[in-house]
Amino acid sequence: MTANVVGMLRPRGAGGRGPDGPGAPRGGGEDPRSYRDRVEAALAAGRRFAGLHVGAGGDVVRTLLVAPDGTAELIGTSVDDGAVPSIVDLVPAATWDEREAWDRFGIAFDGHHPLRPLLDHSGSVSWTVPVLGADVYQVAVGPIHAGVIESGHFRFHLVGDRILQVDARLFYKHRGLEPAAENEPFDVGLAHAGRACAACTVSNSVAYATAWEQILGLVPTPGLARARTVLLELERVWSHLNDIAAICAGVGLAAGNARFADLTDRARRLNALLSGHRFAFGSVRIGRSEIEADTETVDGIRDGLIRIQEEFTRSWRELVFNPSFTDRMPGVGVVDAAQAVLLGTTGPAARAAGLAEDVRAASPGLSYPGFEAVVPTRADGDVRARFEQRSLELEQSFGLLLGLLDGPLESALAEPGAPSRQIGIGLVESPRGRTSCVVERAGARAAGSDGSRERSRDGSRDDEHRIARWRLRTGSYANWPSVAFAAAGNLLPDFPLINKSFELCYSCVDR
Amino acid sequence: MNPAELAAGAAQIVGGLVAAPLLPGTIQHWKARLQGRRGPSPLQPYRELKRLWGKSRVAVEGSGIAYRAAPLLVAAALGTAVLLVPVTSAGPDWGVGHDVLALAGLLSLARFALAASSFDTANGFALMGASRDLMISIFVEATLVLSLAVAVLAARSTDLTDVITGTAGLAAWSGPVLVLGSIGYAFVVVAETGRQPIDNPDTHLELTMIHEGPLLEYAGRDLAFLQWAMAARHWVVLVIAAQIFLPHPPGPWGQLATLPVTLVLLCGALAVTETLVAKSGILRAPRLIATGALVALLGITVGLAGLS
Repeated sequence: MTANVVGMLRPRGAGGRGPDGPGAPRGGGEDPRSYRDRVEAALAAGRRFAGLHVGAGGDVVRTLLVAPDGTAELIGTSVDDGAVPSIVDLVPAATWDEREAWDRFGIAFDGHHPLRPLLDHSGSVSWTVPVLGADVYQVAVGPIHAGVIESGHFRFHLVGDRILQVDARLFYKHRGLEPAAENEPFDVGLAHAGRACAACTVSNSVAYATAWEQILGLVPTPGLARARTVLLELERVWSHLNDIAAICAGVGLAAGNARFADLTDRARRLNALLSGHRFAFGSVRIGRSEIEADTETVDGIRDGLIRIQEEFTRSWRELVFNPSFTDRMPGVGVVDAAQAVLLGTTGPAARAAGLAEDVRAASPGLSYPGFEAVVPTRADGDVRARFEQRSLELEQSFGLLLGLLDGPLESALAEPGAPSRQIGIGLVESPRGRTSCVVERAGARAAGSDGSRERSRDGSRDDEHRIARWRLRTGSYANWPSVAFAAAGNLLPDFPLINKSFELCYSCVDR
Repeated sequence: MNPAELAAGAAQIVGGLVAAPLLPGTIQHWKARLQGRRGPSPLQPYRELKRLWGKSRVAVEGSGIAYRAAPLLVAAALGTAVLLVPVTSAGPDWGVGHDVLALAGLLSLARFALAASSFDTANGFALMGASRDLMISIFVEATLVLSLAVAVLAARSTDLTDVITGTAGLAAWSGPVLVLGSIGYAFVVVAETGRQPIDNPDTHLELTMIHEGPLLEYAGRDLAFLQWAMAARHWVVLVIAAQIFLPHPPGPWGQLATLPVTLVLLCGALAVTETLVAKSGILRAPRLIATGALVALLGITVGLAGLS
């Protein structure tokens, strides 16, 4: 394939950004056409887009694709004259990633037009999709809300109470957590990943730790896998209970909201019993686990869990037999399976649409033997399906935890057993879906994947284990576009309910 | 003025103008208890009113007479409604009569004034709330008039003191007419007090608001007037429920004695409903209220058939 042909075949556009002469030579030895081809082939083979990563030098863009069996691959292309080919026409799920890469690194995406700003709120380019027509009007909500939530602005385009289009603007509290950890020792980044979001701190930390363990060639021992799985599932339990409370609040069902809010905090206190913190801050370490719990403590957590499960079952029954409540959910906020694939919907929202995808089914570093993703019998992808999905996954997590909490928890290590790598990929099924963390280590670019590199897992601050670049792409980040999509065509007063049926984090996105 | 009339008049003024905020306050208090929270005391609305009254008036820039006059107009309409609705069959005439249709008109006037203020400021949430309120009010007003018509038929008078007398005692409940009227009126109580499943007075979700929406642009004394008017609306609607649509004794002294008990029970019922029932979808609300209108219509039919 010659450069000329490539220039002719590539989609045009990108708002005039990035010189795009048809005869411009393509440097870097990577053929852009083959990048798109390879991405297309991977998608056709059932792989899912899981993030876009700009290399540390800014000269390469890598697309993370994940196969159903858990294997992840990065397909890279070199940046040529500040631009790479866009893949949004192949996989719309990459839209936010490309917009973010433009805002943060100035990389243009040929064929992505218009390339609207995402993080950058200062620009003159419109961030909303133009909606025209008779009687169309806009309603602006946020970024400051009456409830105790983070900042987010929603621009509704409406006719009457009917939503035509929603544009969500987040990143109001962008903290630059990722660049702040660049060139720092690897353990510094763990604090950044852990504080990206309180609600997902365990998931994000495990994703980050897993990425570094890959780089260092470490393999978690069964003890480490067990400790992490317990923490992850405890996070999922309180998070899903909280989601149900939020759905109740979305329809003003005070009794359900109060009951599930109570259960949520009781579940968080189990975290405190185990790790000393209700959100389990600081409970994850790279290459090791320092969680220690004697038989008495583990039994206490087990008993607490059994009581929560019993009360959950009772409360759940009351909810599903409350017609005023169940009446609000069917057919509202639909994202069906085909749409979920295109949008990159993940986690409970994707499973509620019938996609039996769950990172836990292929997590060798964690303790999920024989795990299978569950989907609801009525996998309609509406609010009801997402609501029912939470219950199914809660039962699953209660079962997993009761199986794992069968004896004392002791501190554990990851052991050398794999070749070291330049780039590590951590994949975790967070309560909101697939969270990926891709870390590129600094220096030692020549190091191959032959395992020749000396390993260190004692946290020593030597230059070999510094962060060159990393990116945390959480389940919330993946799912926000689905919320906007699901809202279109619905009634405005139903938006809070649709939003709460996803119950995504702002903080996970504004990292 | 005889002693019964004097007592009824005193209860009406003290209850309607001063004690009315206790009604929403009690509902909120019990609602919190039902959710396992301690919640604010039933006196909380008074603290709110005191706080708001201590603030100066502020007006939205560029707003006109509709915005500025609405709080006073709403408060005046509800104040008149309080004078119009007697607490017993011996209620005194305060110069506004006791006509049920005048009551429906006063409640509509308050609704119109607030809706007009929303169009004046053109605040998105206020307009949304006002337009939903107007849509729902078509059904609420029909149901109000139809259910009151049932009671009017039973008493053969549109004067509320006569209606209270005509529906008193156990004889009025021997047939199905008043029962059907009460069922219809129950929907009016929920809708006029802005409670679930029609509206959620506790919500912070701007997109779901109905009655709260038009209030968003008000602060200070204006908001105090509007909040008091909402409390007075509770009083007017619940007093009619207690003294017409629920069993009450024939004599004015007995009616005066049972009124507080019935009001407390009604507050409890509203608190329980609002805890256990989710808010209905916005397009379901009119159908829900229309159900009440149909039941009241059935009451009228049965009443007319029985009379002829």
